[in-house]
Amino acid sequence: MSSPASDPKVCDLFRDDLAETALGVVSGRRRSEVLRHVESCPSCSLELEQLSTVADTMLELSGESEPPVGFELRLAQRLQSGESRRPTRRARHVSVLLAAAAVAVALGIGIGALASSGGNNTPNQAMTDITAASLSSGGHVLGEFLVSAGKPAWMYMTVDSGTWSGVVTCQVILAGGKIETVGQFTLSGGYGAWGAPLTTSAGQVRGARLVDASGTVFASARIPA
Amino acid sequence: MGRRTGSNDDGASDEALLSGMAVGDDRAGLTFVRRYQRRLYGLAFGIVGDAGDAEDVAQEAFIRIFRHAPVFDARRGSVATWALTITRNLAIDSIRVRRGIPTDPDDRVFLELTSNERQPDAAAAALEDVARVRSALAALPLDQRRAVVLAALYGRTATDIADGESIPLGTAKSRIRVGMAKLREAVANEDAL
Repeated sequence: MSSPASDPKVCDLFRDDLAETALGVVSGRRRSEVLRHVESCPSCSLELEQLSTVADTMLELSGESEPPVGFELRLAQRLQSGESRRPTRRARHVSVLLAAAAVAVALGIGIGALASSGGNNTPNQAMTDITAASLSSGGHVLGEFLVSAGKPAWMYMTVDSGTWSGVVTCQVILAGGKIETVGQFTLSGGYGAWGAPLTTSAGQVRGARLVDASGTVFASARIPA
Repeated sequence: MGRRTGSNDDGASDEALLSGMAVGDDRAGLTFVRRYQRRLYGLAFGIVGDAGDAEDVAQEAFIRIFRHAPVFDARRGSVATWALTITRNLAIDSIRVRRGIPTDPDDRVFLELTSNERQPDAAAAALEDVARVRSALAALPLDQRRAVVLAALYGRTATDIADGESIPLGTAKSRIRVGMAKLREAVANEDAL
């Protein structure tokens, strides 16, 4: 349809639908007709732009609300588990960062606290230099293990191993094969996320393993050389 | 009009974060979630009215944002609008499944959207466009306000509104058009001052 620029008679054919177009509630065909006219009509173009700004602003009216505690961690789980759809490798890695950040928060590791203790490398800052490896058992990936460089270095771990609940011991494997116990955490319904500072440098860490109460290693991670 | 752009408290613009996510910058994703979780959750809660459902909607929105970050086109709108629209559409899907669209004039959403009391973030309340639209929306006759809110937040077409409220299609379209014109006028007039 020809649409002479800002011809009032032509504009009248479209003006009634500008608001609904801005709100995105007109049919695709009608929308394309309106947009075709708007392209050649400065007056309707300005009106549609302003109405679109109103429509966009309407989405902000609900305001901000703090999500429930644990939102980031649950998002990390969903990204990692592939709930809803298969996560990309990128999304899986982000999920580890989210889990690690959530762990850091859960452990009460604030930037201010570390700064006041003389540290210059918070977990979040340390994420700029992270080494990650899959935590697996028998070829099945059960979670992720990562080490962030810094002083001190930190390790983080997320586990999604099924339905088992209980306390597990986390150990890191150092260069030369030495095994060092870092601490314990609890898996609930197969899931757990945990982090702790290391007494050694990140460069010395070659991997990690999880040991159950009976002393059996049920998952391990090996950092690529 | 004053437009809300990406917060710079983390240094990067929203567009830069999405670009970073698109090329595999993992920290960009984390920063994006931190920046947007309150807004997306707030919108989701405003529509679905249930904390659990709102969390589900907001998380699904983030999952889709991660997935589609590589194809985001800044020429078609802001990151904020894109993210909020994804959230709105998911929230609409959620309530369609669970309990349908509100049409009762006394329904929570029509009252709360015009109330400053429900705005938990004082900084957000200070946003000029939001405050103007909120004020103008409160001043609309209830039938126009309802039509505008149903279209803007619940994606209802004029036909849907006409059917739901047993009014002629022309009346529903008129309510949307006149209501939106008043909101636009309120914002445009303020900008002209």
